[in-house]
Amino acid sequence: MVSVALILLFVLSCIVLRLISVIRRTRTRFSDARPTPPKTCSLAVFLGSGGHTSEALVLLSALDFSRYSPRKYIYSQGDILSAKKAVNLESLKAPECTSHPSVPQVHSTDATTPYTLVSIPRARRVHQSLFTTPVTAARSLITCLYHVTIAPLLSGHPFADVLVVNGPGTCCMLCLAVYVNRFFGFHSPKMIYVESFARVKTLSLSGKLLRPFVDRFVVQWPELLNDGGRGECRGWLI
Amino acid sequence: MYAFVTVGSTRFDGLVQRALSDAVLDVLRAKGYSKIVVQCGNSEFDTKSYEWTGETWVRRGEEHIEVWRFKPSLQEEYEQADLVISHAGSGTIIDVLRLRKPLIVIPNSTLLDNHQEELASTLAQLRHLKASTISELPKAIESLEPSGFVPFPVFDGSRFREMLDEEMGFA
Repeated sequence: MVSVALILLFVLSCIVLRLISVIRRTRTRFSDARPTPPKTCSLAVFLGSGGHTSEALVLLSALDFSRYSPRKYIYSQGDILSAKKAVNLESLKAPECTSHPSVPQVHSTDATTPYTLVSIPRARRVHQSLFTTPVTAARSLITCLYHVTIAPLLSGHPFADVLVVNGPGTCCMLCLAVYVNRFFGFHSPKMIYVESFARVKTLSLSGKLLRPFVDRFVVQWPELLNDGGRGECRGWLI
Repeated sequence: MYAFVTVGSTRFDGLVQRALSDAVLDVLRAKGYSKIVVQCGNSEFDTKSYEWTGETWVRRGEEHIEVWRFKPSLQEEYEQADLVISHAGSGTIIDVLRLRKPLIVIPNSTLLDNHQEELASTLAQLRHLKASTISELPKAIESLEPSGFVPFPVFDGSRFREMLDEEMGFA
């Protein structure tokens, strides 16, 4: 009995130490500075519907799509509006590539498909009670783990180089899946969290949860950093 | 003139019902708004006085008042409107203010920790829009001074672009 307890304690300590080391490395921004700049970066963005989708797409519209390619738009199951808005943005920014994905869910991307659309179950619906959220969140997490951890391992194509999220509950599941990759030393995207423009005086629940764990925590109103916690404010990004 | 009411992608029964009430329709009429359209999203309202045309609800006897749920893009409505009344969602606010249209927002207090209230009151203080409540809406329309609004700043994409380029090693 004692030896079992000791072994469990040992395993638990390893897990905790590994987590601490992963979190520390995430917060030391220059720990993996590249000697030469990359040519392109694959980008994934979570479109959380409503204002989250609008803001995320405004942010993306500012980017050079030839640099950030291929792109993956992740949206909540059933939220066709967000998927349509993503397609709209792509047509607006239509670069030299004019090919469109023929199937909404594609598990690998290559140079001929500049963007793909991926749907995942919502972790929490609007107005859903926080009590029932753990169940829906678990379902969402499993799908995120599939796309972020398992499918890339099986196909050899990484999920993305950078993941941009801006607040809705489901993005926490995505970030959690990214952390699983980091924990095991698999390829993981940089996580950029941009708090919504709507958050002036208080952070969202997702913001509070993810603040210690993401690579960049960006707010759009300076008051949000008055608590001295980590993060940066560059003014209005939208 | 055209008044457009929108509740975004979710549900805001209170605003839709108030916007279609006599109190609001009367004051809009008095102010010269001859066309009133309500985008009601998933909200519920009393359809008794409305005729369903297959695409929209049109008020019986007043064809210039119509209600519909969703359109893929509201851009055209914003462009044509002389006044927009909406929930205080950031997406709607940004879209409308970038078109320099007069905007009255009503925060939807049923959302998680009433987060629409912060943005509405801050932007109202900065005089980019007028913030009001469901009960005060007729007064807000009555006392609206479109020329008193401060224009919303133009989109500056360089901030996000530079931050991301920096992070990803392009800078």
